[in-house]
Amino acid sequence: MAVANNDLEKVIIQSVMEELAKKGLLSQKGKDHMMSAAMMDMPFVPNPQSEEMVTFPPQEEMQIDNPFNADAVRAMKKLTPARIGIGRAGTRPKTMSLLRFLADHAVAQDAVFLDVSDEFLQRMNLMAVQSSAGSKDEFLQRPELGRRLSEEAARKIAEKCEKNVQVQILIVDGLSSSAIEANIPDLLPALMQGLKSSGIKVGAPFFIKNGRVWVQDHVASIVNCDVVISLIGERPGLGTAESLSAYMIYRPDENTVEADRTVISNIHKGGIPPAEAGAHLTDVIKQILSAKASGVKLNQQK
Amino acid sequence: MPESNNQRITSVGIDIGTTTTQLVISQLTIENTASGSLVPHVEITDKEVIHRSQIYFTPLVDRDLVNAVAVSKILESEYIAAGLTPEMIDTGAVIITGETAKKENAKAIIDALAGFAGDFVVATAGANLEAIFAGKGSGAALYSAERHQVVVNIDVGGGTSNYATFHEGKAVDSSCLNIGGHLIEFERHGDRITYISEPAQTALETTGQRLQVGERVTLPQLRPVVKAMAECIVEVLKTSVHSNLTHKLLMTPPLQLAHPIRKVMISGGVADYVYAEKEPERMAEVTVFGDFGPLLGWELKVSLDSAGFVLEKPNETVRATVIGTGTQSVNLSGSTIHLQETTLPLRNIMVVSPFTAVIPETPEMIAEVIKSEMIQLQVAQTEGVVAIAMKGPRTMSFLDINSFAQGLLLGMQDYIVNAKPLILVMEADCGKVLGQCINASATHPLEVICIDQIEVDNCDYIDIGKPLMGGRVVPVVLKTLVFNR
Ligand code: B12
Repeated sequence: MAVANNDLEKVIIQSVMEELAKKGLLSQKGKDHMMSAAMMDMPFVPNPQSEEMVTFPPQEEMQIDNPFNADAVRAMKKLTPARIGIGRAGTRPKTMSLLRFLADHAVAQDAVFLDVSDEFLQRMNLMAVQSSAGSKDEFLQRPELGRRLSEEAARKIAEKCEKNVQVQILIVDGLSSSAIEANIPDLLPALMQGLKSSGIKVGAPFFIKNGRVWVQDHVASIVNCDVVISLIGERPGLGTAESLSAYMIYRPDENTVEADRTVISNIHKGGIPPAEAGAHLTDVIKQILSAKASGVKLNQQK
Repeated sequence: MPESNNQRITSVGIDIGTTTTQLVISQLTIENTASGSLVPHVEITDKEVIHRSQIYFTPLVDRDLVNAVAVSKILESEYIAAGLTPEMIDTGAVIITGETAKKENAKAIIDALAGFAGDFVVATAGANLEAIFAGKGSGAALYSAERHQVVVNIDVGGGTSNYATFHEGKAVDSSCLNIGGHLIEFERHGDRITYISEPAQTALETTGQRLQVGERVTLPQLRPVVKAMAECIVEVLKTSVHSNLTHKLLMTPPLQLAHPIRKVMISGGVADYVYAEKEPERMAEVTVFGDFGPLLGWELKVSLDSAGFVLEKPNETVRATVIGTGTQSVNLSGSTIHLQETTLPLRNIMVVSPFTAVIPETPEMIAEVIKSEMIQLQVAQTEGVVAIAMKGPRTMSFLDINSFAQGLLLGMQDYIVNAKPLILVMEADCGKVLGQCINASATHPLEVICIDQIEVDNCDYIDIGKPLMGGRVVPVVLKTLVFNR
């Protein structure tokens, strides 16, 4: 929080704190702590011991005072996760909407910058390798590095992975680690069950850190599979940071272009439910296998 | 195999009412509206009425018996007029309504129409369903969804007034009152009474008036009983404490009135007189169709106005029910269905909802609940096919979905051994994965129909038609008989 170096700012901070306290969203203790920090003309240092949390009212709650047609607002809110029907304070958003916006932005940032946890990879029994981007910063600044495996990864895959399978499944963090942790536990078993009961030969799925979509081409060139499918975290938005995509391609090579891929996007609890997506992806993979093509070429055959 | 992204189906709606019989033929366009990156979602994107029949007087053998053969003749000639043969009809519904439904005509009519109404046509009667179809045909359902306002559609016909309350496009309440414009019959354009029906007699007695068959009446003599009838219609909208007469004439439980009502739409034969510019001034104007419909319409408008209701104009009046029947009765299942074999079409599948509370966690506990419900309904012993309906699995996790599949197989053991298809209908979007889990857990190949994204809250029976769109969807007709449970 910024230094409160003039009286106006102090007044603003005070009234925001009071508003929050009034709504029961901030305890007296929390309020006092922040107020004293503001009054001291010193940078505000959050108290790490404090368990102080702001709880937001549910998204679907009516935020407009005296709506003309509350049913209409509710119906529209149901149709979209966008920030509509949030009311206003004069010409500005209400405190609650602004805080929610900031919080969602923070969640989106976390989704990009945090790593998929080791505990998760162990629990899901996934081997982990890395792209040639050595850090998150490098991954974000140099997209081409996320599209190739590191040398070590290439070696490990060549050594450990089954070759010539029909389908190789990759789990790739991409732009949202949160999407991986939120969806894979339901998606992967459904997909595996679907492929197995269709008698399709599947290699053991593994995880690629700091990976982008094209990294699947590199993997396919090593394991020599028919179809490679990447379950990859989508660029998070302010609506959800947990959305996952499945990018699939049939036998990629040096002439492959983006249009050769098939993508199923928006897999998350508010979109395509992950377990259902697993069953649907089974069908899509079956189509790709029988058409021996993916992307636009597959659509042209339909 | 090429998978077309849209398909047209031809649907017929036939409404055999107390006074009139009519049909409409519509063309429904069904399309996959999801973008390529999403799971396909098939829905009806366009409805076009391609043929409206004349409005016929329902052919009667005598006062109580519908002439079924004459009805089938009507269909025959209307099909010819539309340039269609029965084979060209894909789906639709026959609805036998009002007094005619009461008169035990259903069976004869259904038999007479069997060959005419195409491959997949449902015969159904019942005031609640009729009310809902009327409200969908009149545009009330759409109005409530577009304006986000509760609206009641009252379809006032020859013998009955059918109420359906719509909230956000959905019927939430319905009722039926034995009042219509044809309860007293007259010489056409004349003033001599030729027939007084039982409910009209009740109305006369309760309001202490005397009119008799053969008698000639003046407008002032007729008005009080018609006014009383109109007031009964309005009373059902206002309160659940009813006058003696309303009480006697209610044919179903009254409206529950859980939603406050302000907007009212009237459809049916009497509707045109509700929205008329001026009131009928002479008996000859009242009895243009040999009844008192024009007067009832006017008096209804007066009563609604003075009770403070706001009248909205419907898109259809006299044809509302038949249009609703023809174009609105078909639902399409969510496209993530798991279909096997060619067991379809299936008709009059009893809907069983075993889970009133939360769905238990383990397969054994789930099986227990299903079994006890099946025993209670004695399903295993009967020949009938049932559909298990539910909101969805306990949670949308793969674990819970898989447990549910196992519990279901266990609970339905005795049913499946009779080689009956396992049918599931649910609201949640997980039909495909549940179907997959059932097949993975089953010990021998099963016929499974797993339909998702359909609300079956108030549904008693369903029909499932032949698959469309290359096997991706099935038309489903939900038959709701009562709201008051
Ligand atoms: C960012 C983005 C883009 C960016 C990609 C920039 C880049 N080089 O990274 C740009 C603006 C170029 C783009 C373009 C297109 N996109 Co785009 N895009 C997205 C978005 C918003 C996020 C993707 C993401 O998070 N990827 C994950 C990261 C980790 O992957 P990446 O390796 O860094 O980036 C690759 C992918 O993003 C991929 N990609 C992006 N879009 C598309 C679309 C298709 C069909 C394919 C095969 C691949 C692809 O290309 C990138 C480079 O390899 C999604 C929305 C969503 N919900 O996913 C739509 C989305 C994937 N895009 C979509 C579409 C339709 C397109 C276009 C075809 C639009 C057009 N008509 O021209 C083009 C084609 C792209 C191509 N490369 O050929 C659709 C796909 C629907 C479908 N299955 O048909 C989506 C789902 C949006 C939507 N809901 O409509 N897109």
